[in-house]
Amino acid sequence: MLSVLICDDSMVARKQTARCLPQDLESQVHFAKHGQEALDALTAGKGQLLLLDLNMPVMDGYQTLENIKSQALGVKTIVISGDIQPEAMQRVKDLGALDFIKKPVNSEELRAAITRHGLFHEEELEQENSDLNELVRDCYQEVANVAMGMAGDHLARIMNVFVQLPIPNVNLIEVSELHMMLSDIDGSESTSGICQGFLGDGISGEGLCILSDSSFADIANIMGMKEDIDDHQQLELLMDAASLLIGTCLSGIAEQLDMKFRQGHPVVLGQHQSIQDLIKANRNAWKKTLAIEISYGLEGYKVKCDMILLFTEDSMDLMNAKLAHLLED
Amino acid sequence: MTSSSVKNDALDELLEFHWMMDMIQNVDVGIVVFDRDLQVKVWNGFMEAHSGILPTDIKNQPISTYFPEIKAPWLKQKVKPVFELRTRSFITWEQRPYLFKFRNYRPITSSAPYMYQNVVFSPLVSVMGTVDNVCMMIYDMTDAASSKKQLLELQVKEFESSQS
Repeated sequence: MLSVLICDDSMVARKQTARCLPQDLESQVHFAKHGQEALDALTAGKGQLLLLDLNMPVMDGYQTLENIKSQALGVKTIVISGDIQPEAMQRVKDLGALDFIKKPVNSEELRAAITRHGLFHEEELEQENSDLNELVRDCYQEVANVAMGMAGDHLARIMNVFVQLPIPNVNLIEVSELHMMLSDIDGSESTSGICQGFLGDGISGEGLCILSDSSFADIANIMGMKEDIDDHQQLELLMDAASLLIGTCLSGIAEQLDMKFRQGHPVVLGQHQSIQDLIKANRNAWKKTLAIEISYGLEGYKVKCDMILLFTEDSMDLMNAKLAHLLED
Repeated sequence: MTSSSVKNDALDELLEFHWMMDMIQNVDVGIVVFDRDLQVKVWNGFMEAHSGILPTDIKNQPISTYFPEIKAPWLKQKVKPVFELRTRSFITWEQRPYLFKFRNYRPITSSAPYMYQNVVFSPLVSVMGTVDNVCMMIYDMTDAASSKKQLLELQVKEFESSQS
């Protein structure tokens, strides 16, 4: 059992790195949000392998490496960073890091690195800078939670299955890194997706519903379709699921914000494509987006369905104002 | 016919009127009714959602009060045949990408900078048989416009590479 400590200030990045660890590696994973937390964890004996990001608040990666060196904490460190300048690589190696992996991390590279250093197991962290303050994030999380429950309930009634409700993921992410947050869908698996714009009271955004192609057989089964389903039927299933999930979740959120959303016509993003091909975001217009990701699962089935609500950056002030009453003591 | 059945008919009509209005509010097409002075009479839910302007605010105001970029002389010229000849008048996105600058409905996954629009002006005949108002319908053409632009780009690229 290898104890792995992932240090990155972004939750998405921590999750991403953890997911990239070799599946067959026996490990216990710990997380730290910045260098100081990592040092505390290491001092407490957590972490034989440290996967370290460089740019973090409180204590950055370089300082963390210096402290590990000066305190002689016997941890093996691999740096995972978006800063891939030769200078950065040299500096971290001088400070005692075993290896350097550039972001975004993928599982092959991580496996190779851990194997190379005789650990077999290594974790990689993808970092995203989140400007959301904890209280606001918590607030969105709670709103999403309630809305998700409503959507799950509708789904359960219509499909007559038990819907496993996850904890919604709320993050302020780079639009260009959208596909990275789709945690439940394997990068190698083909997917089909629908998106739908919505707006109301100056708040606008899009809902995405992405289903892994391996889910269709089970969904058809649940819906009582006996014969093999073709592309058209798959699309119909996807469209039904998307309308249901996006519609109920949006109305759940709207109710809590005391407003109404107007939904545009859904658009098929694509069928049987990789996540990267499916989501080609409008990178020019928006740098950041508030993303609420909900990964639904159905008990007893291999159905993986990700629903993501994306709000434009300029919608956030209005939403924060509408949520202000939840933040009052 | 008994008086109660007359009452029921009247009630049914009222109910029907109610959901018809609801339909106009919720249809995914912009509906604006205005008179000869370009004063707004109807501003439906689509227009409200995309512009952020409330129907109560814009009602009985000339369109140009809220949209100064839509010039009154130009619009009057455009709707003249609708009032006079009772024919429809059109604007396509190819000739003018939009009349109202609205944001693209899909701000994240679509690359269009704004909502491309097709606009139709249609005469509304009053009970007196005169045309006092025009109904303007605004269609979101963003998806069609984006695909056509992509196709054109490809054709140009193909042509250029065949020339070189």
